[in-house]
Amino acid sequence: MKTARRGPRNAEDRLRRLLVMLPWLMERGEVSVDEAAERFDLTPAEIARELELVAMCGLPPFVDELIDVFIDEGMIFVGVPRLFTRPLRLNAVEAWELLAAGRAAMELPGADPDGPLGRGLAKLATALGDDDTAGVRIDLDRPEAAIGLAAAADAGEEVRITYWSLSRDETSERLILPRQVFADRGQWYVSGDDDRSGEIRTFRIDRIESVEPTGRHPEASDSQLPTPGSWFTDGSIPRVTVRLGPSARWVVERFPVDSVSDADADGWVTATLPIASEPWFARTMVRLGPDAVVVEPSGWGSIGRDAATRVLAHYRRS
Amino acid sequence: MADRVERLTNLLALLLETTQPLSLIQIAGELRGQYPESQTARRGAFERDKAALREIGVPIEQRIAAGSDAGQTQYWIDRNRYEMHGLDLTADEMRALQVAIAATRPGSSSGQDALWKLGAGVLDQGTTVSAIVPDVAELPALRDAVASRARVGFRYNDVDREVDPWGLLLRAGFWYLIGFDNGRGERRTYRIDRIAGHVVTHADAGSFERPADFDPRDAFPEDPKLIGADPTVPDALVAIDAVRAGHAERELGSERIAERRTDGSIVVSVPCANQPAFRSWVLGYLEHAEVLEPETARADVIAWLEAVVA
Repeated sequence: MKTARRGPRNAEDRLRRLLVMLPWLMERGEVSVDEAAERFDLTPAEIARELELVAMCGLPPFVDELIDVFIDEGMIFVGVPRLFTRPLRLNAVEAWELLAAGRAAMELPGADPDGPLGRGLAKLATALGDDDTAGVRIDLDRPEAAIGLAAAADAGEEVRITYWSLSRDETSERLILPRQVFADRGQWYVSGDDDRSGEIRTFRIDRIESVEPTGRHPEASDSQLPTPGSWFTDGSIPRVTVRLGPSARWVVERFPVDSVSDADADGWVTATLPIASEPWFARTMVRLGPDAVVVEPSGWGSIGRDAATRVLAHYRRS
Repeated sequence: MADRVERLTNLLALLLETTQPLSLIQIAGELRGQYPESQTARRGAFERDKAALREIGVPIEQRIAAGSDAGQTQYWIDRNRYEMHGLDLTADEMRALQVAIAATRPGSSSGQDALWKLGAGVLDQGTTVSAIVPDVAELPALRDAVASRARVGFRYNDVDREVDPWGLLLRAGFWYLIGFDNGRGERRTYRIDRIAGHVVTHADAGSFERPADFDPRDAFPEDPKLIGADPTVPDALVAIDAVRAGHAERELGSERIAERRTDGSIVVSVPCANQPAFRSWVLGYLEHAEVLEPETARADVIAWLEAVVA
C-alpha cells in the first residue's frame, strides 16, 4: 500500500497536487494560506512556493498571465479563472480506490444502503461506468457478534465476553471495553481495554462465545490501539524459518512473512515468519504435515510433532 | 532552465487551449526556451513530459498529420475528457466516501488524490470500525475492463489466458477474478495475486456480454470444503468437544449438528469429498475434534498425524 507522505516529492506529484488545489482556490477566490496548507497537506512555505511558480506560468503572448494568483498578508487571491477550473478526471487507480473502499465500507457493521454512502457510491459507480454492483463484490463474511461489538465501541460501552483463547486452550469470561472492530485477511477482530490484564488486547471475534452489554461506560485507557493490518512489525516477536511445499504455499499468502525465497525446481520455498503465537504455529504445522519442514531454530521442529502426538493419542484412546 | 513543474504546467495549458493539434516543433516554438535546442534532446524531454502527464491521468490525444505536415505526430487535449464531470456529490455523500477510505484504505495516497479531486480535504486517521482491503497492482485495470466489457490477457499457472472479465470478488482476504476463459471455453475463477506479470487489456470495449444473472458471490462456495467436492460422497461425522462446540456451531450452522451430547460436546456432519480441505479443517481443531466416520476419512487423518510425528 502506498503511504501518504507529507508534501509532494517529484514534479509529477507536485503537478498532481497543483491540479486539485487550483480549482479549489478558483472556486473560493480568496483563502488563507494556512487553510489551504492544511487542506492539501503542505506547509505554508510550500504553498507559497507552488503558487509563485504558477503565477510565472504563461504562454505567448500572455507570458506570466496564465493564472492570476498572488499572496498578500497570509491570504491567497485568485483573479478571473480561465484554465484549470475543474479537477482532472479520476484515473483508473483513484477510481478503484474510491469504489473498492466504498463497497467495503458498505459491508461494515452499521452501514446504511440508503444513507449518504450508498447514494454517493451509486453516483460514483454510474460515473465510472459500473452499471450494477456485480462487477466488484466485497464479501466480508461478518459474524453476528461484530455488529454488537461495533455498536459497543461506538457507544463506549463495556461488555462481558466469553472467549476461547488459543494459547491457553480454554474458555474464559472477561470484561472488555471495545474500542475498534476490524476485518483483516478474512477474519474479524475487536481490540479494547481488557479488564483482566489491564492492557489493550485484540480478540478474534469468531472465538467469542457470547457478548453481553454491562451498561457501564468506563473511561478508555490512553494506551495506543494497534494499527489494523500491521501487527507483526514488532522485532521482538520470534522468527521461524520453514521450507514449504507447493500445497503449503497458502501460508505465505495468508500470513505476514519477513522473506520468501523463489521456488526451487520442485516448487518448494524457504520462508521466515514472525510467530506471534506458539500454539498457532503448532496448529499450522499439524495442518501442513509433510508439506512443511522447520529449518531453524531447530528446537521449533518439535512443536508440530508434540501437537500431532496429542491429537493422535486422542484417536488411539477411542 | 525553468522548474520542470512550470514547463509541465505550460505544456498542459497549451494543449488544453489549442484550437488545433500541434506538432512538437510548434509546441517547442510556443514554449520558447523551455525545451532543449537539439532535436534529440528536445524529443527526449518532450517524451518524458508526455509520460509524466499521462502518468497523472491527463488524456493526451495524438494523430499523424496529413497535408503539408504529413507524417508528423500532432498532440492536443480534449477538455471534456480531461475534466471531471457528472459526479455532483452532496457534502454528506463526499464525507461518507472520505470515511470509507479512512476505514478500508488508510494511508492510501491514490485514495487521498481521489478525495481531493472530489473536493474533500485531508483523510481522517483511523475509524472505530474498519476493514483491511488488500491491494493488488492489477485491480484498477481489471475493474476498468470489467466495467467496459473489454477482454483481458494474462499468464496464470504457466498458461497464457484470454479472459472475458465478468466480475471481481474479495472473499476471505483474497481478490478473485471470475470470467470466461476463451482458451478453455468455460467459466473460471482466478486468484488475482497469483496472476504472473501484468494484465493486458484489449482495446475493444463491449467485446462480450456478461450473463444477466451473474453474481461473483456465486462463483465458488464460501466453504473451501465444498470446492470441487463430489456431492454424491456422504458427509463425515466429526465429534467436537465442549470447549470448541460453540465455535463449530457458529462456523457451520446449527443445521449441521447431528447430535448434542450431555457433556456439551456435539457431533457435526461435514462434507469430506475434498479430502485436503476437510483434513485441514478438522486438524485446525487439534485434539478438540475427532473424525468418527467414514472410516476412510478417519484413517486419512490418522495417517497424516503419524507422518507428522515420525
